[in-house]
Amino acid sequence: MKHGWLGFKAIVAKDIVVELRAKQVLPTMFVLGLLIVFILRLAAESMPTGAGMPIMGAAALWIAFLFSGMLMQERSFATEKEDGCMDGLLLAPLDAGTIYLAKLCANVVMLSIFEAAVVPLVLLSFGLSIDGRWLEFVAVLVLGNLGISSLGTLFSAAVQVSRSQGSLLSIVVLVVLMPMMTPALFALLVLFGALPEEVAGFGSLAFVGSFKAALGYMIAFDAVFSVACWLLFGVILQE
Amino acid sequence: MRRFLLIGALGLLIASTWLGLTIGAITPVQRNVLYVHVPNSVCALLSFVVLLVASIAYLATSKPLWDLIAAACAEVGVLLASILNGTGMIFSRAEWNTWWTPSPRLVSSAMLWFLYVVYLILRISLPGAPRQRARICAVFGIIAFLDVPMVYISARFIPADVHPPNFSFDTGWQTAALMLGMLGTALLAGALIWLRTDLLLRRQRLEEELLQE
Repeated sequence: MKHGWLGFKAIVAKDIVVELRAKQVLPTMFVLGLLIVFILRLAAESMPTGAGMPIMGAAALWIAFLFSGMLMQERSFATEKEDGCMDGLLLAPLDAGTIYLAKLCANVVMLSIFEAAVVPLVLLSFGLSIDGRWLEFVAVLVLGNLGISSLGTLFSAAVQVSRSQGSLLSIVVLVVLMPMMTPALFALLVLFGALPEEVAGFGSLAFVGSFKAALGYMIAFDAVFSVACWLLFGVILQE
Repeated sequence: MRRFLLIGALGLLIASTWLGLTIGAITPVQRNVLYVHVPNSVCALLSFVVLLVASIAYLATSKPLWDLIAAACAEVGVLLASILNGTGMIFSRAEWNTWWTPSPRLVSSAMLWFLYVVYLILRISLPGAPRQRARICAVFGIIAFLDVPMVYISARFIPADVHPPNFSFDTGWQTAALMLGMLGTALLAGALIWLRTDLLLRRQRLEEELLQE
């Protein structure tokens, strides 16, 4: 147990320190995020009344997180391939689950750094206000971040272990994340004031169509997939 | 054995079609596509369940046969899901005058189709050792199936369900036509999965023999 905790801390610290010193991926992520936000901001301009701003803003946030996140997760195991670092990682007296959790934690932290920079930019450039509901806003962003990172970490290991191209990662992660995107967009639209707190006539189940339901769905999604990825990670690392 | 399965499936499907077009016909006419649509939707879901079981069995036993069964299920499942979406679009165009609309059921069946198409792409684009590919595909098979309930629930965040939840049939002949179609499609799917598994197994053996020479 103590070994596990020490190893966990070591891997997280290593990943974050290496990134902050070498700056391999954060600058690329920022530029990609900026480009996505900029292009969608220009597209939103074509809607005359400004009605599209919350929709385009919410879409810009998730698209920027998804693609920049995948850019980062791809590097997360690609760096381990160089100089046989992967062997060192596997030889460490840690179980696969701990390695997964450490990698996930490092990825969540780095995606959060990215979010902290991009979110204010989106709010400003799209002229959106969240009406003082900061806590809920941060909760939605963190839940989205965890969902993107948990699947991205698992499949980036798979893609690296099998030496296939990184483009595979994007379709594999996107397709599994697909069902999280509807509630995630729904939650942001409620916070941006584009949708009422509860929308009648949504779907046929009683609990959907409200901000709380969207939040609950995202919590369930994150719980299911982070546990599943944690359990299945060992299978992927086997040689 | 397989020949009998295929012939039986064909016979059942012809019987279902004949019943559906004569004494079991539903008015208006476009609703008869349900005799194809409903069995395919049930059987597509069944193939994905078998895929999940095969993936878990592969991880538990490491026998290559399970991996091949999973591959065959994905191929057949994607075929059935394509028919499901295609017939659904035809029905929707005739019934509601639109080819596709983002209603919960249509969204979730489109998402399912995407999930297993990606499974097939993953299979063909993972290079390297077959055992490693099999493991990664099994992991994706399990994750993809975990996504199925998520897909169904998430689709409820989309308004306006135009899809009728379930149809009630007026006569026994209509129910009979549907049940025959269900059985025929299930037999056909089973036979196709069997055929594909066998073919994949033979191909794998051939590749191994060629490697040894």
